[in-house]
Amino acid sequence: MLCERCKIREANIQYTEVINGVKTDHHFCAQCAREMDFGQYSALFEGEFPFAQFLSALLGGESPARKSEKYQQIVCPSCGMTYQEFVDNSSFGCADCYNVFDVLIRDNIKQLQGSDCHKGKRPVYQNPAAAGEGGGESPGDGGESAGAVSEGGRLQASAEEQIRVLERKLKEALRLEEYETAALCRDQIRALKEGMRTDA
Amino acid sequence: MRKWYEEIDQSYRNVVSSKVRLARNLEEYVFPSRLSEKDGREMVDRLCKGLEELNGHEGCSYETVNLETVGELDRRDMKERRLISTAILNKKAPMAMLVSETEDVSLVFNGTDHIRIQVLTPGLHLSEAWKKASQLDDFINARFAYAFDEKYGYLTTYPTNVGTGMKASVIVHLPSLSLGKKFSSMITDMGRFGVTIKGVNGEGRENYGALYEISNQKTMGQPEWELADLVSKAAIQLDDQENQVRAMARKSHRLEWEDEVYKSYGVLKYARRLSMKDAMTFLSQLMAGSADGLIHFAEPCSVYRMMLGIQTASLQKKSHKPLDRAELDVARAEYLREMLPELS
Ligand SMILES: [Zn+2]
Ligand SMILES: [Zn+2]
Repeated sequence: MLCERCKIREANIQYTEVINGVKTDHHFCAQCAREMDFGQYSALFEGEFPFAQFLSALLGGESPARKSEKYQQIVCPSCGMTYQEFVDNSSFGCADCYNVFDVLIRDNIKQLQGSDCHKGKRPVYQNPAAAGEGGGESPGDGGESAGAVSEGGRLQASAEEQIRVLERKLKEALRLEEYETAALCRDQIRALKEGMRTDA
Repeated sequence: MRKWYEEIDQSYRNVVSSKVRLARNLEEYVFPSRLSEKDGREMVDRLCKGLEELNGHEGCSYETVNLETVGELDRRDMKERRLISTAILNKKAPMAMLVSETEDVSLVFNGTDHIRIQVLTPGLHLSEAWKKASQLDDFINARFAYAFDEKYGYLTTYPTNVGTGMKASVIVHLPSLSLGKKFSSMITDMGRFGVTIKGVNGEGRENYGALYEISNQKTMGQPEWELADLVSKAAIQLDDQENQVRAMARKSHRLEWEDEVYKSYGVLKYARRLSMKDAMTFLSQLMAGSADGLIHFAEPCSVYRMMLGIQTASLQKKSHKPLDRAELDVARAEYLREMLPELS
């Protein structure tokens, strides 16, 4: 398919526009996409390759405006990244972001990657504390075991786990009389709980 | 020592090179975009020091390049040789690179991710490249703990790299196939097999030199060897189809075909000015003609090496001064006259 703007180059970016619940697909070449104004998503074209698909994953389905409104107050406690910043840059600020934003992004990642479960190599020499229960597995060819857990149960557990982590942080913050951090944790817990209810 | 791109590997006629890149992040630091300058410097120093033993490991010696203080021209030059990515071309932060003598192995610290491991080879050798990258990965991991998640795998800055963190890619030369009407739909079809193809030097007809990079589209849900295999298979398929198209053309238009190749050689060997477009187009003809045995060099010669050598930053570095467009065209022609061997 040719790019609908220049009609010269091959279109390799699909842009799904959602206006008042009506979805329209557009097709552009990378060059035109870079020249056009996609507002907050423009930054995506400056980075590395397949953001295009991530972009459509973000914009397709649920309107991002509605979604982010609900989750705006979620902030990663480790790096300070907000959900809005994550959407703007389409990148994570730290390893904990994956956990903090998990409920919000797991559908996008699944759409982007066609899977939400890693298969393949695992770190050979990881400190045992971080490896968790799966640490005993032989490295390299593992992977099948991860898929065995029922998907819904696993994902739900991880949302609950985030809340547990945040509740621990909240307690600690209160003990140290860091009320700002505590408030942040409380907001995040609230948002996560609300997210779980509406997702269910 | 000869660089990897000076070696010639014709196991597949139209496969130029293979690359495996792994993105890794350390457990104890936030990702580069949120990392303070102080922490970034500390991390880069620790990585450089902690990996000193890599020198001499498997008979390979490495040079440390301070990417933070290196000039803009050097960065562009390294980018042309595929040592660093466009994303960090203008990045201002503590960054370093360990690079092997032949430039086939490189580690970039604090670029887009904390660590990017890259292995390049001439020809089609993705599984070897993966093995080598994975060994380096283990070597690093024995000294530094990674950010890894049971569900999401290796955690990366961009969600497009998460999981294996691996990008396997192969550069193929498709001068005839890419002229066909069906080529663009063929590229789109490749998506269904999980691979992406894009022009190395531009899009559509502007991709002078007809080099295409095939790489895995996804990084999660499949093990590394399977992702690399998808890319290899696509490369072999495209190589085969290119060969078929060319064989047909040689059969029906032998004289015209030879004429084009020899004319290209003549222009490249004797011209006094060459634009990027012309140089790439003639080198592409020469690459195909030489691969098909229509023209023979008096000594071994990597046409791909010349395609890298005529790039802007490379020429500017060689002449030790900035060049305007007209001067570049002269420098390009000069470089090619010097590099092209006689015919036998
Ligand atoms: Zn266009
Ligand atoms: Zn974070």
